Amino acid sequence: RSGSKHASTPADNYYLARRRTLQVVVSSLLTEAGFESAEKAAVETLTEMLQSYISEIGRSAKSYCEHTARTQPTLSDIVVTLVEMGFNVETLPAYAKRSQRMVITAPPVTNQPVTPKALTAGQNKPHPPHIPGHFPEFPDPHTYIKTPTYREPVSDYQVLREKAASQRRDVERALTRFMAKTGETQSLFKDDVSTFPLIAARPFTVPYLTALLPSELEMQQMEETDSSEQDDQTDTENLPLHMSTDDSGPEKENTSVLQQNTSLSGSRNGEENVIDNPYLRPVKKPKIRRKK
Amino acid sequence: AAPVSAAVAAAPPEGAMSNGVYVPPGAANGDVKPVVSTTPLVDFLMQLEDYTPTIPDAVTGYYLNRAGFEASDPRIIRLISLAAQKFISDIANDALQHCKMKGTASGSSRNKSKDKKYTLTMEDLTPALAEYGINVKKPHYFT
Repeated sequence: RSGSKHASTPADNYYLARRRTLQVVVSSLLTEAGFESAEKAAVETLTEMLQSYISEIGRSAKSYCEHTARTQPTLSDIVVTLVEMGFNVETLPAYAKRSQRMVITAPPVTNQPVTPKALTAGQNKPHPPHIPGHFPEFPDPHTYIKTPTYREPVSDYQVLREKAASQRRDVERALTRFMAKTGETQSLFKDDVSTFPLIAARPFTVPYLTALLPSELEMQQMEETDSSEQDDQTDTENLPLHMSTDDSGPEKENTSVLQQNTSLSGSRNGEENVIDNPYLRPVKKPKIRRKK
Repeated sequence: AAPVSAAVAAAPPEGAMSNGVYVPPGAANGDVKPVVSTTPLVDFLMQLEDYTPTIPDAVTGYYLNRAGFEASDPRIIRLISLAAQKFISDIANDALQHCKMKGTASGSSRNKSKDKKYTLTMEDLTPALAEYGINVKKPHYFT
């Protein structure tokens, strides 16, 4: 209680100030008695005794007063209390007249911080009826009123569709311009090259070749079906990585298509564990049938 | 039993004392000695009007309020603070006696009185408090 120094509340300060005053009082009483100095433990002991003595007098006097159905303690209550605590009340006037007396100043009372008139904003909320009048007032309303800083999101269908459409158009435009900037461009206009760049078309030497040859996806698909029909793994180019058990043909094709779609890059490493889930099977490159 | 019951029956109601002295009805006979039972310290309370005890009124009032005692009269507070002061100073005087006894018990200095520097130590305070029924024990060392 007296040793801790961290973060004392105003109530603690209030209490500590009065306790220090009691310590000063005890020291002055000891000086009156004739002591030059005292041990700290002795002063602390006497301070504690003084505080508890005063508190006990208060409590006991209040009890005696309430015992006789009163609420305001009187002199008689205190006299009875002192007698009960073993105090000789007749010596008290003589003690009061002793010569060397010291007076200790009381600890200062700090007023409640009041906001100056210029800083008050708005009307303070009046006390609700269950709060007594001597309690401090409510603070200014700006200290607790909160206004949200966001607006409600727009949920109108038309506005949202317009927004989505304009966003998509912007994205497409940005992407094509990016490709034009980083790749070869052709221009419609003779002089102005940068205003409307078009992505340059790369003509093939043999234009009809793509129509005749199957695409990469189709080749993989063919290899997939071929390898699933055969059980042995004789393909040297792409090792079939998975031994299917008893699936039918079309189902195999579907699964292989799915595999190609999900992992186009294809995992070509040799060691892969057998996974039961068809969607997680590694990609199998189809074997190219050369003999047939 | 008769005078006792007569005394109870003749007891005046509270607050109806004429000059503050309650005389039991058997006093006139001579078999009951009159005991003046005014409330003591009433006059003393009047003298406390302009008296400032060592303990400030605010401090004493604070501790009394914590105990539930709301004083209507500031003189009551001064009376209590005086009583507490006397309590402590009585203990201090007893401790001083102990200190003096220890110093001159062996008869060290007889020509001159013991040096005027008295220090209140726990060794002097403990027996002084023991006479009041308060036992304090201090550990000799801290673990």
